Amino acid sequence: MYDFLTGPMFWLSLGICLIGMLVRFVLYFRGLSWQLDRVAYKAYPVHGLKGAVNSIVKWLIPFGTYGWRKQPFMTVIFFGFHIGAVLVPLFLLAHNLILKEKIGFSLMTLNPLLADGLTWTVIVSAVFLALRRIALPEVRILTTWYDYIILLLAVAPFITGLVARYELGNYSFWLTVHILCGEALLIAIPFTKLSHIVLFFASRAQLGMDYGIKRGGMKGKGMAW
Amino acid sequence: MPEGTFCNKKPVDTEEELKALLGDTGGKQYYEEMKSLEVDQDLLWKTIQNTLKSRLKTWLEICAHCGMCADSCFLYLINDQDPKQVPAYKIQSTLGEIVKRKGKVDNDFMHMVMETAWAKCTCCNRCGMYCPHGIDMGIMFGYVRGLCYQQGFVPWEMKIGAGMHRVYRAQMDVTDEDFVETFEWMVEEYEEDYPGLEVPVDKEGADILYTVNAREVKHYPEDLAEAAILFHLAGENWTVPTSGWEQTSLAMFAGDWAACKMQVEHVYAAMERLKPKRMVGTECGHAHRATVVEGPYWAGRSSGKPPVESIHYVEWLAEALREGKLKIDPSKRFKVPVTLQDSCNYVRNHGLKDITREIMSYIVEPGYFREMSPNREHNYCCGGGGGFNGIGLFRSQRNKALITKRDQVLNVGAEMVIAPCHNCWDAIRDLEEEYKIGIKWSFLKPLVIGMVEIPEHLKLKE
Amino acid sequence: MFKKILFATSATEACDHAARVAFNMAQSYDAQICIFHVLGVPTRGFSQVVLDVKTKEKVVLDDEYIAWVEEEIKVHYTKQLETAPNAEIKVAIGFPHREVLRAAREWTPDLIVMGGSTGDDEDSVYKKSMVGSTLQRVAKVAPCPLLVVNRPAASFWGGMSNVIFGTDFSKASDAAFRFALQLVRALDCELHIFHALDIGSMHLGRSMTQDEIESKIRESLRRIRGRYLPEMKDIPEYDFEVWEGIPYVEIVKYAREKHGDLIVMAHHTQKASQEDTRLGSNIEQVIVRAGCPVISINR
Repeated sequence: MYDFLTGPMFWLSLGICLIGMLVRFVLYFRGLSWQLDRVAYKAYPVHGLKGAVNSIVKWLIPFGTYGWRKQPFMTVIFFGFHIGAVLVPLFLLAHNLILKEKIGFSLMTLNPLLADGLTWTVIVSAVFLALRRIALPEVRILTTWYDYIILLLAVAPFITGLVARYELGNYSFWLTVHILCGEALLIAIPFTKLSHIVLFFASRAQLGMDYGIKRGGMKGKGMAW
Repeated sequence: MPEGTFCNKKPVDTEEELKALLGDTGGKQYYEEMKSLEVDQDLLWKTIQNTLKSRLKTWLEICAHCGMCADSCFLYLINDQDPKQVPAYKIQSTLGEIVKRKGKVDNDFMHMVMETAWAKCTCCNRCGMYCPHGIDMGIMFGYVRGLCYQQGFVPWEMKIGAGMHRVYRAQMDVTDEDFVETFEWMVEEYEEDYPGLEVPVDKEGADILYTVNAREVKHYPEDLAEAAILFHLAGENWTVPTSGWEQTSLAMFAGDWAACKMQVEHVYAAMERLKPKRMVGTECGHAHRATVVEGPYWAGRSSGKPPVESIHYVEWLAEALREGKLKIDPSKRFKVPVTLQDSCNYVRNHGLKDITREIMSYIVEPGYFREMSPNREHNYCCGGGGGFNGIGLFRSQRNKALITKRDQVLNVGAEMVIAPCHNCWDAIRDLEEEYKIGIKWSFLKPLVIGMVEIPEHLKLKE
Repeated sequence: MFKKILFATSATEACDHAARVAFNMAQSYDAQICIFHVLGVPTRGFSQVVLDVKTKEKVVLDDEYIAWVEEEIKVHYTKQLETAPNAEIKVAIGFPHREVLRAAREWTPDLIVMGGSTGDDEDSVYKKSMVGSTLQRVAKVAPCPLLVVNRPAASFWGGMSNVIFGTDFSKASDAAFRFALQLVRALDCELHIFHALDIGSMHLGRSMTQDEIESKIRESLRRIRGRYLPEMKDIPEYDFEVWEGIPYVEIVKYAREKHGDLIVMAHHTQKASQEDTRLGSNIEQVIVRAGCPVISINR
């Protein structure tokens, strides 16, 4: 089982994830239409680029936009979740050992204490995200079972990862489950809302281009996100 | 089931049809017929398949249901934070549903969509600024309005408005003759006070081609005179076209894209005919948005720009003040608390936030200008945008929406609200009428005329 | 002299005395009279919903409503209409001064007749965004003479024997003068020329000595002689005076003394400053106070 999961399944899930994300990203931009969207994308590439970058970067910074500042609690748990959710899978020592084994090189690695801290933050933030969905009426009305499942799917690897890391119960079992969860997550990414991993950038770029080209970008300072 | 006499899928294209529809007082029969209007589900789905592409599709799918858009929307806030007013909910329950069901929706559903699109959204685009994914629900509701219009589920006044543009190429029944006549009449009335005042008509190669809002011709012709006076005092080489003088587009509020195209092409034709250096529009937000920002795309122009450089009236005014073409007498500047309405269509959606403030710096005594909060591109809708001001069926919702602006004005303690936009001006007038908070409000033109120094060579000789 | 008379009215009691004058004139001159009434102010969109000026209610405009208002007007002026069977009734919506001017431009009357102010503006339908009353705005730019009958006392238009012409020696006053001459010739009556020496606002706090005043009076009398008398060779009965004081007060007094049946004055073409419109210029004060109708000429 373990060999299967770290062998063919590893390549398959990673492949599906990466290729899937690429496909979605490319298809997104191919599907943009200057006439239907009413944005002259190609006519002003510099303004478009500036707008896109501004739009993306500001939102990547905690409290970097009016939107983040208006919702401080949400901002904290959002970044609490996402910072760890991005950094830990990529830069965890254990993951990079496997990576070195598989493809010959590894990425930089996190200090184990930091990795633990980030992972705990991910899980706690996820709990609060779920609670938020239950408690706030404006979120409740939008929330469906799908949102909970996605959250569960996303946080399962972290929970199981920690269980394995602290060697609670049967280490082998939990490790396997952790890998399964991880690979399930990877496969799900291109086909579910988790595709926002790339589509966040794509969508923000589009809106950034819109504002950069058509809605004021050529009149001076640009949108104050 | 056959379509109604007044309420049907066919746009109003002739004067007879328009008069007939106008004659249906308050849209009584129209709305009655709407109760049995069938939804052409095939057409709906086909249209969506042809026009709902990457951007909209992704927006609908990628919404994280996070609810951060909720308190960006003034309608959500003013309606006691009713969860049904959350922008994401509004769009998912309408467009999202239609897409999910592949167009298989019924009459009741479309009634709900119509109400959401015209009474629960003014397309102010503020929500798009507060969504982490950058999902602009204002744009999506513009799209939804198009679908509704195609199916005939459009408010009575909007159908009339679109019809007006189709028949008169103006938002009201004002003909080209009416326009020129009224403009010349206004100039006559004022030329004794301003010797040499004239309105050049159809002059080729002028520096400025001036376009207006048909309302000015019909009910506020002083505005035309004021524009002429200011151009005259600034020594501008300007003109108006006999045809293609209407900058507004109720068709845009109605979702009648074909009429939008006809309307802007009519104005662009004037530009191409008279070849001015620039086109300057009157003080109207949606007119600018329709003709300068969105218009080029309806007309298929890949540059995204009109045939001639086109600016909003505030841009011209700021430039005239900056360059000294118009000089303000400092003793006549405002010495009462003044605030400024940042109109969505040219501030949030065209970046002119600093231009209007530049004008304020000339006409308001330092220390008297008070910023609304929030302001600039983060300002709230006046309450009457997107056609809200004009729809009788949704008047009570509109009146509630005015409270947001009312409170903004009260909080800032202003006595005068400057609103360089016809819709905003109307909304503020209505909010004063409804809530009587004791404010004055004005466009820029009359205020500037009251303060400007008349150049020596143009002074009245007595 | 007057072939077409435009009578702009609110169709309320406030305009009844003006109505009397308008219809009397129409009868005397065998003129065509048009009763013009602005029934409401548009409140939104394409003016389908109108704020009725009388009921102050929001009304949806349609042919029926317009016909009903026209009928009401007919009823209100039943008596007067008996004397003028060819009278037209025209109803419009919009801002009154604008619509009156528009009607005048289209119909080209020889005279516009209006009543005075129709009441306080507190709950007025015409929102505060406009400065100046209907009267002021019409008088300023009307394309023909404007006859204003402000008080019941001012409405007797029986025989005319005395026309008062008030002047400030401006170009506009010259136009008013020519009109007054026309009137006097046509009606065969006496012309009384009057100039008020304004001792109030002139010298910034310093009041004039009596000698200064009297010398200015003499100067003004000379000006009247030089400016107007040469054109009045054919007028049998006339006189002229110059009094010092607050102009509108003096004119009203002079008119009273000379038993004036009509006052003819120029409306100033200079743009009224904010202050002026609040206090009202001289002519507006005369209109408000005179015991006879006042005709305002601006060109």
